[in-house]
Amino acid sequence: MITRRGMLKGSMGVAVGTVYSGTLVSFLTGCGSDSNSQEVVEVMPGGLMVVNPTVCVSCRRCEIACGWNHEGDSSPTLARVKVEKNMNYGPHGVQFDYETQRGECGDKTVVPSTCRHCEVCTEVCPQKAISTNEQTGAKVIDEELCVGCGYCADKCPQQVIKVVRSKMKAVKCDLCNGKPACAQVCPTGAIKFYNWEEAEAALEQYEKYTGLVS
Amino acid sequence: MSDKIGGWAGKVLRVNLTTNNIWYEPIDKYYDYIGGMGIGYKILWDNHKDNITAIDPDNIIVLSAGPLTGSGVICTGRTTITSRSPVIEKHLIADGHFGGHFSPAMKFAGFDAIAIEGKASSPVWLKIVDDKVTIEPADALWGKGIFDTHAMIAQMMGPNAQVAAIGQAGENLVPLSVIMTQGGHSAGGHGSVMGSKNCKGIGIIGTGSVKIVANNEKMRALDDHILGIIGANNNGVVPSTPQSWAEYSAPISRWKARPGLKWGAADQEIDLGEVPWNERNRIGFRTSMAESYIGVEYANKWMKRTGGCHSCPIRCFCELKVPELKSKYGRKTEHISNVCMGFLVPQYLMGTKNGSEAHAMAGALGAHILDDYGIWCNYGSISHLFKFLKTKDMFKHLLPEDEFNSIPWELWDNQDPAFLLDFYRRVAFKEGEISHLADGLYDVIKRWGLDGTNPALGYWDIHKESATKVFNKKTNAAVHHASETAGQVGTLINVVFNRDAQCHSHINIVNSGLPHDMTVAIAEKKWGEGAFDKVKWYTPINAAKVRFAKWSLVKNVLHDSLTLCNWMFPLLASPDKNRNYEGDSTIESQMFSLVTGIETTETELDFKAERVLHLHRALTILQMNESNMREEHDVLSDWVYDLDPDKNFGQEGTIKMDRADMQKALDMFYEAFGWDIQTGAPTRATLDKFGLGFVADRLAARGLLPS
Repeated sequence: MITRRGMLKGSMGVAVGTVYSGTLVSFLTGCGSDSNSQEVVEVMPGGLMVVNPTVCVSCRRCEIACGWNHEGDSSPTLARVKVEKNMNYGPHGVQFDYETQRGECGDKTVVPSTCRHCEVCTEVCPQKAISTNEQTGAKVIDEELCVGCGYCADKCPQQVIKVVRSKMKAVKCDLCNGKPACAQVCPTGAIKFYNWEEAEAALEQYEKYTGLVS
Repeated sequence: MSDKIGGWAGKVLRVNLTTNNIWYEPIDKYYDYIGGMGIGYKILWDNHKDNITAIDPDNIIVLSAGPLTGSGVICTGRTTITSRSPVIEKHLIADGHFGGHFSPAMKFAGFDAIAIEGKASSPVWLKIVDDKVTIEPADALWGKGIFDTHAMIAQMMGPNAQVAAIGQAGENLVPLSVIMTQGGHSAGGHGSVMGSKNCKGIGIIGTGSVKIVANNEKMRALDDHILGIIGANNNGVVPSTPQSWAEYSAPISRWKARPGLKWGAADQEIDLGEVPWNERNRIGFRTSMAESYIGVEYANKWMKRTGGCHSCPIRCFCELKVPELKSKYGRKTEHISNVCMGFLVPQYLMGTKNGSEAHAMAGALGAHILDDYGIWCNYGSISHLFKFLKTKDMFKHLLPEDEFNSIPWELWDNQDPAFLLDFYRRVAFKEGEISHLADGLYDVIKRWGLDGTNPALGYWDIHKESATKVFNKKTNAAVHHASETAGQVGTLINVVFNRDAQCHSHINIVNSGLPHDMTVAIAEKKWGEGAFDKVKWYTPINAAKVRFAKWSLVKNVLHDSLTLCNWMFPLLASPDKNRNYEGDSTIESQMFSLVTGIETTETELDFKAERVLHLHRALTILQMNESNMREEHDVLSDWVYDLDPDKNFGQEGTIKMDRADMQKALDMFYEAFGWDIQTGAPTRATLDKFGLGFVADRLAARGLLPS
């Protein structure tokens, strides 16, 4: 098992495993890599969930299982994987040429969003409520510390963190403590857990579908 | 029973477009009717007015979900739409359905149903963002096709808005018109009802949740149980071709995945290969049934992926990429999503042959035109009638000469799908006499004398003609898994509703693909000896067949109330050899119990569904002002009995029914439901038994209750 921690730390050293630089950093955060090409990624046990949009069939069973597991209810808003928001018109919303863009109303390619367990949320959290689970590599929220300020949700590059108003706590993907429900119920294997060695290729494939179709 | 009740969102949204009044009803008054279809017919019963038409402002249209909708339980993404139908004589009630993601969004917004009445003074659309409901001007949307309407509303609301809308056909009050939501999911027959209210569509964003009483472990355990039983579409439980993992195979099964069948238009071509029953993370590949509609050559070329509804792992929809739609036929896209009649109806109309390019293109192009204009097929009736009149050269007697000469018949003669562009435009915009093909069949039969009264047509009688597939002589409802499906079982199922029977309970066992003797064994275990005959080799009616028919109808109503897909459920067969290929008919009650927290047995839940069916029957009687259903409603077309004149009923190779046998079948069927044997109308005792005493009172006051 290989995972990653401590990215976006500038010149951090490498403890074990594979070293990734610019490209993976940009994939993980959704931010361009050119401005910080010296960044390196230290890999540790764990990984992340990535969707292959070419086989996503828009059933939203991943969203459903996530809601059942974490909230006890069915709730796309609180699900940590997001299908609904991009489902019909793709990652850029309704464009004038929506028929040629992504989504059910476009070229039929559905591009769900998943947490990449980058460090943006941990860095912006004023309460230091978000940390790395050493067993899974997931960035997890300590609800005792979280005050629901929403900084993490606001800054999340993938927009997969939400604040639950009823309890004023942020919620995000925790990799289901190593047994991701979303992947277990996917009827096509479109969403899978990738360790860090595999993640770059999976994210590269995913990123082909996040831009506007020209 | 838990302290809290899960499933239902809590309220029904009521909207009057004449007064702009918006109000809410608590959902608990509808608990006894489950939801979906049950809510719809209860609202329509409570607000019944005599002698109004479907497009009268006083007619109410109900878009409804059930307690399971949006819960995430398998195959629960469907919406039921109930209202008077402009397609049926006297505009009797009917329900249509679409899948997709609309009613889950409605539930997440906090509503179990939306009931719209009145008529706006100018075009409007209904905007729902959780509990904020507003009536918005639709001047910019009016005149647009459905695809652009969906996009424009989503642009105004947000890209995650789920939208149900009508096209030009609905606006122009074409009776055969649909309401459609994103992804190609449409419900037939009520587009013009929305149009008559000047209501272009409904957009919903719901950010809430559907409450579930059971915990995650129980929900996942049920999910896993279902995944081990469910088959492909129509619950085909064996592959369509021999495969290394399968003991049986059958071409009729919709489990089409096999080596050599491809998603050829996917960005990375996928050869589906074998998809064994127990590979849960590959279930979404197994159905892939584009070849059934466009032939294997074009399926392998155009199929991009499967698609379908919220929470469904089966994915019966075909998402096609067809470059010619744009490059040759001028559509704005290369892509089309649809299934079954969406593709088949234009092919029926063109008379093309499966395997040809013309056939594949007719399906793809026709589906796109139909969906954009929002035209309904009336379960194929418009196509069957068109093709018959064309091949018999009858249109020259029905159309004015100028109009006849303006129609590009040569395109049809050459099997050029471009004919569909011209034909469907005429229909959507009510251009000329030919557009009356999209009237209700009762109206077009009378208009053109298709009931044996038009000498120019040689006194041709549509009710004696099997090719045009009108099954019910009184309602003019189309064949929909009728006498060709388990003989009297399918036939009885096809006499109850006012439009074509959208019941698949029986087809989901008949077409499971299991060897015939195994299907017989499952049927006999459930309903008794003689429940299921050999294909096209029928025996006289018996009690087991009646039980089979009644069970199928009750399950159908149950599913349209929960809401649960009746194109998959009930699951009486399974692909699991360890279960001896048997399914589990208690799954629905397990779902209901876990989600709502109300422990309910299969028998108890079926009882609630049967209540809805009795209410439907009673409301039909009230609207017809006629209690003699045997003679005025449950009447079959002559061809059903007179088919294959060289064969007798019961001989091998014919699906013909027998008049005396069918009257006996109706006797037994009425008795099984507790309906008066003479008339087929529900008795007071039956209505009282189902808590419908108020229905009996109203019918009695009108002299419509059997003595």
